[in-house]
Amino acid sequence: MIVANTLFTRLVRNSPYLLIALLVVPVLGGLLGVLLPAFGWFPALGANEFGLFGFIQLFNTPGIERMVMLSFGTSLISTLLAFVITVLILASYFNSPWLKRIQRLLGPILVIPHAAAAIAIGFLITPSGFLSRLVSPWLSGWDVPPDWLFPHDPYGLSIILGLTLKELPFLLLIALGVLAQPEIGKTLKAQHKVASSLGYCPMTGFFKVILPSLYGYMRLPILAVLAYSSASVEIPLILGSNTPPTLAVAIMQWFSDVDLSLRIKASSGAILQILITLSLLGSWCLLELLVKKCSASFLVNGEREYGGMLIQRVTHLITTVMLSVIGLALVAMVLWSFAGFWSFPDLLPQQLVTLHWSSALLQMQTPLFNTLVIAISTTLIAIALTLFVLEAEQQNTKTISAISGFIIYLPLLIPSIAFLFGLVWLFEQVNSQHAYINVVFSHLLFVLPYVFLSLANSYRRLDPRFSTVAASLGVPPSKIFWQLKLPLLLSPILIASALGLAISFSQYLPTLLSGAGRINTITTEAVTLANGASRRTSAVYALMQMLLPALFFILAWAAPKLFFRNRG
Amino acid sequence: MKSQSMSSLKIDNLQLSQQGKLLLSLNEEVKGGEVLTIMGPSGSGKSTLLNWLVGMLPNDFYANGELYLNQQIITNTASHLRNIGLLYQDPLLFPHLTVEGNIAFAMPKGDKQTRKDEISEALNQVGLAGMEKRCPQNLSGGQQARVALLRVLLSKPKAILLDEPFSKLDSQLRQETRQLVFEQIQRYSLPAVMVTHDESDAIAAQGKVITLDALSLNKAAS
Ligand SMILES: Nc1ncnc2c1ncn2[C@@H]1O[C@H](COP(=O)(O)OP(=O)(O)OP(=O)(O)O)[C@@H](O)[C@H]1O
Ligand SMILES: [Mg+2]
Repeated sequence: MIVANTLFTRLVRNSPYLLIALLVVPVLGGLLGVLLPAFGWFPALGANEFGLFGFIQLFNTPGIERMVMLSFGTSLISTLLAFVITVLILASYFNSPWLKRIQRLLGPILVIPHAAAAIAIGFLITPSGFLSRLVSPWLSGWDVPPDWLFPHDPYGLSIILGLTLKELPFLLLIALGVLAQPEIGKTLKAQHKVASSLGYCPMTGFFKVILPSLYGYMRLPILAVLAYSSASVEIPLILGSNTPPTLAVAIMQWFSDVDLSLRIKASSGAILQILITLSLLGSWCLLELLVKKCSASFLVNGEREYGGMLIQRVTHLITTVMLSVIGLALVAMVLWSFAGFWSFPDLLPQQLVTLHWSSALLQMQTPLFNTLVIAISTTLIAIALTLFVLEAEQQNTKTISAISGFIIYLPLLIPSIAFLFGLVWLFEQVNSQHAYINVVFSHLLFVLPYVFLSLANSYRRLDPRFSTVAASLGVPPSKIFWQLKLPLLLSPILIASALGLAISFSQYLPTLLSGAGRINTITTEAVTLANGASRRTSAVYALMQMLLPALFFILAWAAPKLFFRNRG
Repeated sequence: MKSQSMSSLKIDNLQLSQQGKLLLSLNEEVKGGEVLTIMGPSGSGKSTLLNWLVGMLPNDFYANGELYLNQQIITNTASHLRNIGLLYQDPLLFPHLTVEGNIAFAMPKGDKQTRKDEISEALNQVGLAGMEKRCPQNLSGGQQARVALLRVLLSKPKAILLDEPFSKLDSQLRQETRQLVFEQIQRYSLPAVMVTHDESDAIAAQGKVITLDALSLNKAAS
């Protein structure tokens, strides 16, 4: 397509470079910013000689093996669990209306920030939590809270629970998204039908026919989940033990220590973190290979039924337990946020008060304002840039190259704890002291990929003949963009905006670090309060964290309907 | 053999309706080795009929009537226990398995080597000798169709349904594949129901032809 040379088209044409620069420079710069100190170069401390003493210090830290084990174990086990349960749910409810219902129940969990989810789970499993109240005293005989270690157990079981519950909806929705794609989904369903007509019970048919193909599409998202969970801090911080914590949490503590000399150890730790994440990804691929090898003959052995009924029952049970855990955690949190006096074995508080809400809402004004300002500015930039890049793609009539396609996911694949500290150092180098701008800049790293992911499909599906017809009528490209494409895409743009806002709301580490601790948002406050004294205030903040994204998703969903109804 | 001479697929007073509207009614018996051809315009309910025969009628539809396979009533039998094979216009081979794997998948359990030999022999018969280890994606359309046919036949079905099985093949290939399919149906003495839009398919099948029309009144022609 020959495109006129106007300001608009020039802007559009150059937007992909801006996008890539915005993602690559901070990530690579940030990595450099930890790589140098990791190997001993930290001029601010007078250390200008390269050496391995950071690593020596790191490996001499008491409990370092446990930190590494915890990071490795919790993320591998939770991802495995989430994957296995996802597959069981798909296998048991394939072709059943329950699949849609489970999807609808789990979907909203996707936008619950990790911190809020962790707080909610904490409320459930803490000794005086809802779970022990449910069974006390009639079953357990407990009159005082039991003496168990949950949350904060040293084995990371609470972390595993939290991560699994957060990862599961993501993997399930990814799988259902693949099945909903007309080309793939239809073929897979037809193949399942073939297997059925060849005598395969539905469950075996799923495992032998659908799963091998479906897995290929789920592979990258699974690896992303694995990488993310190995280095995430919110859930281990709120649900993990501190003696010792996971490596990511320890690194965060070293970095934020007033003792600057810990910076070198922390940087070495960040490098170790990257190695752990890489070895996790490697282990997953090995595991995959092993399963593939072992299952090759099982796929074609002609066996058509493997106790499908039993597996189905087990899945019913797991699904029920899981949904109840989530439901109970939410109920518990709402109750705590309104609870007056609430003595131990009582299931419900003696009285309900709105005091915690009213006082928290008063305190919340500044964090709420910060949260909204940062999220809205980040999302506006992300949406505008994404739309320009997608428009550039259509004007060039080719999709952006594989490399750029990969770069967009870069910030999601590299453990953020590894480059965020370097990024802060970078901000210091360029003397960028405006905390707001720094925070928006770092939020963009995480908001952009999701907004792009969310919008790309709808934009690419727009029929290019629209533009051709309009262009042949003499309409300039800018007019086609503003007056034809954007109105057509109103709904996807609003959904992508809600997603962008939700991602920004949920950011903890980027806000904390880029804002140099000076910018409080609902999420940073919620994490700070999570292990604090007032469970009631903490409940209010965690609920606020859930309500904010929910509100914007509802707006995004309802606005086009209202808008179009008024027009009609 | 006695069991073969008895093999038949009997559709007894079937009435298929969608939201209270009658889509088609049918009363037919197909003997082993015979092909019943169903023709009719798009939307007249041909695929829906096949869906009912394999027990995968979508929720939207309501069926009245009975289905007998070899004198046994199977109206309410789960689809995977019916022993009715299906052949679509798309071969729908499993991409994660080789040609051999696709066929082995369909065969009953048994000794590994025996199954292997059986597959090689069957491939040989349809002119695909030595293609065991090939990936189905790398086969031509006609070759894929033949593998799909072997997959159904070696699963030892008691009846076979064909939903526009040749419509994606060019005329030369169409004729060859069609001949092969009908030969195999006779060889295994299977009752077969074929849906087609093509007059020449109907003639080649040499069996009874039923034309459904959109008004759900169906007339039988020989
Ligand atoms: N899954 C379904 N749910 C609801 N209605 C359906 C479904 N599949 C088909 N129909 C409807 O049932 C009627 C019969 O459809 P069917 O697919 O049996 O037609 P057909 O004769 O096979 O047509 P074609 O020659 O195009 O394949 C049509 O009106 C169609 O719209
Ligand atoms: Mg049809």
